[in-house]
Amino acid sequence: MTCNALTCLPFALLLLASPVLAGDLQVHLDGIRVQTGTVRLALVDGPAGWEGKAPPVQAQALTPSGDSAQAVFKNLPAGEYAVLVTHDENGNGQLDTNVLGMPIEGYGFSNNPRVQRKPTFEEARVQVPADGSAINISLR
Amino acid sequence: MDRRRFLRSLLSGATTAVIGATALRSLPAMAGDAAAFAEARAQHPWLTGWRSVTSETLGPSTVALQGTLPAGMAGTLYRNGPAWTERNGFRYDHWFDGDGMVHGWHFNGDGTLSHRARMVATPKFTREQKAGRFLYPAAGTRVPDMQMVRNNDDANAANTSVVMINGRLFALCEAGSAFEVDPDDLQTLGPVTWRQDLATVPFSAHPLVERDGTLWNFGSLSLMGGTGLLVWKIGVDGQLRSASIVETPFMGYLHAFAMTDDHLVFMLMPFNYKAKGEAFFERLQFTPDQPCRIAVVPKAAPDTARWFEAPFAAAYHFGDAYERNGRIVMRTVRHDDINRARSPMHEAMAGDAAHAVNSDATLMELHLDLRTGKAHWEDTGIHGIEFPLFDIRSTRTRGARLYAPLMQGDTSAPYFNAVAGFDVERNRRQVWRYGRDILAEEHVFVPRPGSQRADDGWLVGTLLDSATQRSGIAVLDAGRIEDGPVAQAWLPYAVPLGFHGTFAARE
Repeated sequence: MTCNALTCLPFALLLLASPVLAGDLQVHLDGIRVQTGTVRLALVDGPAGWEGKAPPVQAQALTPSGDSAQAVFKNLPAGEYAVLVTHDENGNGQLDTNVLGMPIEGYGFSNNPRVQRKPTFEEARVQVPADGSAINISLR
Repeated sequence: MDRRRFLRSLLSGATTAVIGATALRSLPAMAGDAAAFAEARAQHPWLTGWRSVTSETLGPSTVALQGTLPAGMAGTLYRNGPAWTERNGFRYDHWFDGDGMVHGWHFNGDGTLSHRARMVATPKFTREQKAGRFLYPAAGTRVPDMQMVRNNDDANAANTSVVMINGRLFALCEAGSAFEVDPDDLQTLGPVTWRQDLATVPFSAHPLVERDGTLWNFGSLSLMGGTGLLVWKIGVDGQLRSASIVETPFMGYLHAFAMTDDHLVFMLMPFNYKAKGEAFFERLQFTPDQPCRIAVVPKAAPDTARWFEAPFAAAYHFGDAYERNGRIVMRTVRHDDINRARSPMHEAMAGDAAHAVNSDATLMELHLDLRTGKAHWEDTGIHGIEFPLFDIRSTRTRGARLYAPLMQGDTSAPYFNAVAGFDVERNRRQVWRYGRDILAEEHVFVPRPGSQRADDGWLVGTLLDSATQRSGIAVLDAGRIEDGPVAQAWLPYAVPLGFHGTFAARE
């Protein structure tokens, strides 16, 4: 069928109408140091989620294979988000820390803030536009 | 300013660090520039002591031992020091920054000596080798485009000392964990976690060993932006006996400590952080208007402390401590120039031979009166020493004999060229001067097997001959230092100067 303004526009509008203003956030991870355990990603949309006072918008888990990995958060409305990544290297279900609270397993944050402490939501946040985005997170 | 040098450092990406370094002092050459250091070393051969290594391993090489090894003396001197200091044209400008290289000087017992050395394969060294540039925060140099660390062990250069515990060898650095290395081939076995919840907690480069082999150490939590000291106690079997925290209500720096029969003595130097984003020793600003705070920790209750205050003094190393008549006395190597103390041999690291001077240090005694709670300093009159050591069998009711390198007579390098045994209380010393062109390092005391009497044994120390560009080792009778080495060996190459070592006697 020939596509012209009469025939295609309705289809185009139809396409725009469905998953409405929501895109995917592709997350590329690098700096995975060991191939054991589970890498967990939590996507939050505000400080409450960031501080663990509200559940994440979405969560992903993957088994590492190589020093990089990919994850996708699908169908996100445009807005501000942040991603917290933890690598549970020994598979005990948590991010291990020492007696001083220092992490001894891997972790990372969206926006890779250059701070040697847990960043704030504002420091880690990324804008996800309507048609989605791709970000890179370097694990420490 | 030399335009070619400026362009070269721009291309190497070292500019930010170089500008930061030059802001601290004015220098004819660009600080932190490998090529500038190489040119300076060609003019001033003693700068080999601060040269970077470029190979992960050295040796093994076996050479003839001159003289005769004393009967009963057998084993290996292990040493550690900051050896890898340059990458991609960029050079660290602080002596404490280089990655650690462990050396084994093995007395074969057949008239020969073997030397081998190997870089400690820390996560830092391994990743930076792969990346071809420095990545992680250094103790004294600002590193451009620095990577974030998982924890303090990512920045651990494992470069300061080595200790042997129950047949296992550990490379130490106050930044974090001990790293275990194989005593024979010096391969790195990995960071040591004494207990799971204590992973990465600092394990200082100056543990102290009791006569029964029990080992005490500390970890400074100020280095991690907090306060407090973790006190480690490790049994002769290498198992953790206790880990306790002594609260310290302020940020205080310490590099080492001393102990009496019953107490551990920690002297903390108060400091502020000067500015954000710079390396620790650049940010470190001692506050000499504030007193040093000294914690006397009972070995029987190592999570408690009795605190003393004394006028400020900047010190890395201590000799022995003893307790007599209700008073604890701690021998302290006080650096007389507080600013220089933040970066010893700073000019040598930069290749600025004209301005390089040895750290000026005075052996002081800190007196802690257990009855009155007061402390005061006394000057021993001994000047110009560092790296003091002593026989741990020394009676701890009076001061031990101290062994330390010093400068004697004419020297071509602004560095130690002699070694001495000091009877501090009687103000007597026995000295052996190696020569004008020899740089002398820490000398370890080795007890004669089967002997009971303190100071019955030998000194073993490493040397760098700047005229021949060779490194070597000397053995002296600790009771006859003034007679010079009884045995000596020279390698066919030179290695950079290091810091501290230990002698592992062979049964």
